[in-house]
Amino acid sequence: MIRFGMTANSVASGVNRRDFLNLVGLGGTASVLAGCGNTSIESGVELVQSYVQPETFVVPGVGVYYASTCTQCGSACGIMGKVREGRILKLEGNPQSAISGGKICGLGQAGIQGHYSPDRLKTPMLKENGVLKATTWEKAMSLLSGTVSFTAQGPRRVVLTGPTSGHLQILLKAMPQSGAATDHVVYDSLSTAVAASVNLKMFGVEQTVGLIDKAGLVLSFGNDFLGAGDSPVAAARQYARFRKAERRGILIQIEPKMTLTGANADRWVVIAPGTEGVLALGLVRELLQRKEFANNLSPNLIAAVEPYNQTEVSHITGVRGDLIPRIAATLWEHSPSLVLAGRYPQGHAHGSHNMAAIALLNVVLQNQGKTLWREAELPFPQMAPALGNFKSLRQLNTQMAAGDVGSMLIYGTNPVYSTPDFMRFADNLQKVPFKAAWVTELDETAMHCDLVLPLMSPLEDFGTHVAAAQSDGMEISIQQPLMEKLHPEARSFGDSLLELLKQAKPESYKSFPDYYAYLKSAVVNAKPAFDPKVEDEEFWENTLSAGVLRRPAALLPLPAIEFSADLVRQPLRESRDAAYPFVLIPAVRPSMRDGKAANLSWLQESPDPLTTVVWDSWAEIHPSTAKQLQVNEGDVLVIKSAQGSIRAKAYLIPGIHPGSVAVPIGQGHESYGRYATNVGVNPFKILDPIFDEETGELALYATRVAIMKTDQNERFTKDEGATNLQQGRKLVATLAADQVDLAKETPFVIR
Amino acid sequence: MKTFSRIVLCLAATLAGVSAAPVVSADAFVQGGPIGSQTSDGYNALGPVVTQPIEFPHNRHAGTRANGGMEIDCLYCHTYARRSAVSGIPRLSKCIGCHNMIESVKEKPRIKTLLAYWDRREAIPWKKVHDLPDFVRFNHERHIQRFIFDQGRPSREACGYCHGDVASMTTARRVKAISMGWCVSCHEKEHRIDAVSFKTGHGPNDCWQCHH
Repeated sequence: MIRFGMTANSVASGVNRRDFLNLVGLGGTASVLAGCGNTSIESGVELVQSYVQPETFVVPGVGVYYASTCTQCGSACGIMGKVREGRILKLEGNPQSAISGGKICGLGQAGIQGHYSPDRLKTPMLKENGVLKATTWEKAMSLLSGTVSFTAQGPRRVVLTGPTSGHLQILLKAMPQSGAATDHVVYDSLSTAVAASVNLKMFGVEQTVGLIDKAGLVLSFGNDFLGAGDSPVAAARQYARFRKAERRGILIQIEPKMTLTGANADRWVVIAPGTEGVLALGLVRELLQRKEFANNLSPNLIAAVEPYNQTEVSHITGVRGDLIPRIAATLWEHSPSLVLAGRYPQGHAHGSHNMAAIALLNVVLQNQGKTLWREAELPFPQMAPALGNFKSLRQLNTQMAAGDVGSMLIYGTNPVYSTPDFMRFADNLQKVPFKAAWVTELDETAMHCDLVLPLMSPLEDFGTHVAAAQSDGMEISIQQPLMEKLHPEARSFGDSLLELLKQAKPESYKSFPDYYAYLKSAVVNAKPAFDPKVEDEEFWENTLSAGVLRRPAALLPLPAIEFSADLVRQPLRESRDAAYPFVLIPAVRPSMRDGKAANLSWLQESPDPLTTVVWDSWAEIHPSTAKQLQVNEGDVLVIKSAQGSIRAKAYLIPGIHPGSVAVPIGQGHESYGRYATNVGVNPFKILDPIFDEETGELALYATRVAIMKTDQNERFTKDEGATNLQQGRKLVATLAADQVDLAKETPFVIR
Repeated sequence: MKTFSRIVLCLAATLAGVSAAPVVSADAFVQGGPIGSQTSDGYNALGPVVTQPIEFPHNRHAGTRANGGMEIDCLYCHTYARRSAVSGIPRLSKCIGCHNMIESVKEKPRIKTLLAYWDRREAIPWKKVHDLPDFVRFNHERHIQRFIFDQGRPSREACGYCHGDVASMTTARRVKAISMGWCVSCHEKEHRIDAVSFKTGHGPNDCWQCHH
């Protein structure tokens, strides 16, 4: 790795990294703008990359790597950006980051496209007569200053953001504290707040750390840790160690719709949506019959699981009865095990109970202290991530509807896209007299705002990030510009926040000319916790060079918590609504997540791992359901809930529960650049108003729908060939699963 | 002072790893054709005159002593050509490294412009004279290795195969077609593989060598 440092030359002439980028800027930016898509030979048109006094390691045509942090999801993977002639060309993992371990995922790789997107917002825009028109930053800042009030009276002044961490989170916290705003609301449409709440009740912490590589068997209830999980790159590395262990680790995945992780599992078990907790209790009951586990639960809990016998569980969940004792036996044989729960069990009215029942398996198996831990203490807890939830947005929505919100500053989230229609969020937003959004591209929420401000791309900005899920020590990931900003008027959100804070509390912030100065000062102040012996400037340069500040791994054991048997109580079996017989599964794709990445054409072009479909939405249904409905692949279906309907082409896949239909999240944007707009449909919109009873979070997988076939059929754009297995020829010998004696095939045995 | 600066520049040229006593083949400087003429694949041999921010006199720096030049080797200034796919443009501090010491020309208009750029720490917006489409990857380093370091040809000649006799120009101008047919015509020729052997070999003709 090439280290960045100040050379003797540049020190002598006072040229530092920022100046260096500026000096490169003239030729660099010009050639960036002129250099795209040139296919002709033209003399005297383009500029040659020209340097004033480059660092000694800079050679035109040869890449230099700078460390930064990927911001495509919340994993905070350390990355290295290949920079050539002042342009960022490629992103790779930073080997010094324990999270990325020198690798990044496809979503991370595509981050560079957001930076070069042709639809980047270039100037501040102000709405006049319903139309956004270019304005100046001076005008914009004067309008924003109007939201900073020093009296507690008057309507709410809200800052609404997506999940944040690091020093930006500290500034955001300071907004209500300083009086620059009244509330900071953090919203995440794919929040894990239910899991956090259950963890707190059962293990004493919101975030537990599951060590996949320390387990002999992983039983995962819909946790897509290899795909759209909390930290897929770190999990994939652990998973590789888990698989390569002397005794190969076994993965059993139980879920209503196959995820990428499910596709990798040794045994994939389909389950009726929302009944994961019932199966977990059935497994607990089976395990309690062994003397090793019989004393691991309190009498109340033992009594609570007693009704969940094999027949009952099989009847409710649809899982074959004989599989339940077999999975229980395998859990015991391959201990230590690790039981994980993902999004599917959380997304129901009884989501908390589902999650608690699954967590009870870890308790019975006594996985705490073996494969289940809590994170080491972060030396600076104020930098810990603020993970969003849905409940606080719901409260805000109610306040907006009542006209209690006077102004709203929005950053890093797109609620107009990701909230269901029943909330009428866009209508309520119109009741807020002043709303401003910081965006790189005009998304749906920005289109509803009065003021829209051009945001620097993550590859142009400074920042610090702390991941929620860290298993190998605590890491503060450093984000630094990999390139001079493409559009001169784009600014950092941190700069705008600092301006507002200076106005509200000048004595605390006046010494920082900009966000960079604030960040540098704050990072250097943290020096004693990391490297107290070096000089401040050297510490800062070393930090930028490494891209991470690390504390060694020190996982802590989970405290023993007494919890009530009510936590694991499962609801009575619901009767099917004849009008809406199917359950809608808004599937989270590893590449699209909550729709934030839909503007990246590489990801639109990347085939979905299971269906290979590109540039589209689709409705996954089981072949048996398709037969019953007389649906063929490509038939356009209307999927109708009580809240509305969407249309999508049918895709037949055996990896889904026959009573479900899955439509991927991420598409169906009305505004988000040329690559996202009018591609596919948005299943968020037709979700029913069902919430987790304990936490108030939106139940993402509880919406009931009807499926209606239209007379239209459209071809899919997809990579895979014919789906009629083996195209009528016996290309690969196959055997029905029931006829396989796994004992002869692999070292893995489910007895 | 003038003599001193010449010594400095000649010493620098030697340090740049270039052998003395060049015997430059004039073949390299034959233009692709008269103005307006085209090569067989339809490209103009002679490019347009490109107006640069400073009218850099290549002839004064690299031209022969007989013509008032200083015979500075091409690679002394275009130092990136032997290290990278692109030759790049010399960094501004390289110009200043010499010109700060040459008092006699400091008041000349072009040098004043140069020093003004340096005072502002502003990169000079030089324009490209030799351009290729984005789907073509030409590698300077490979060609310099072959012709200068392996075959021992003088850089003025080796560079001249593509760029013409720049040492006789003020600002550079394209004098060769730089088209695919023109590239291939040279790749088809047999070239000696090094300075002492009589073995020959031609350049690669696989598509992916340039289109990758």
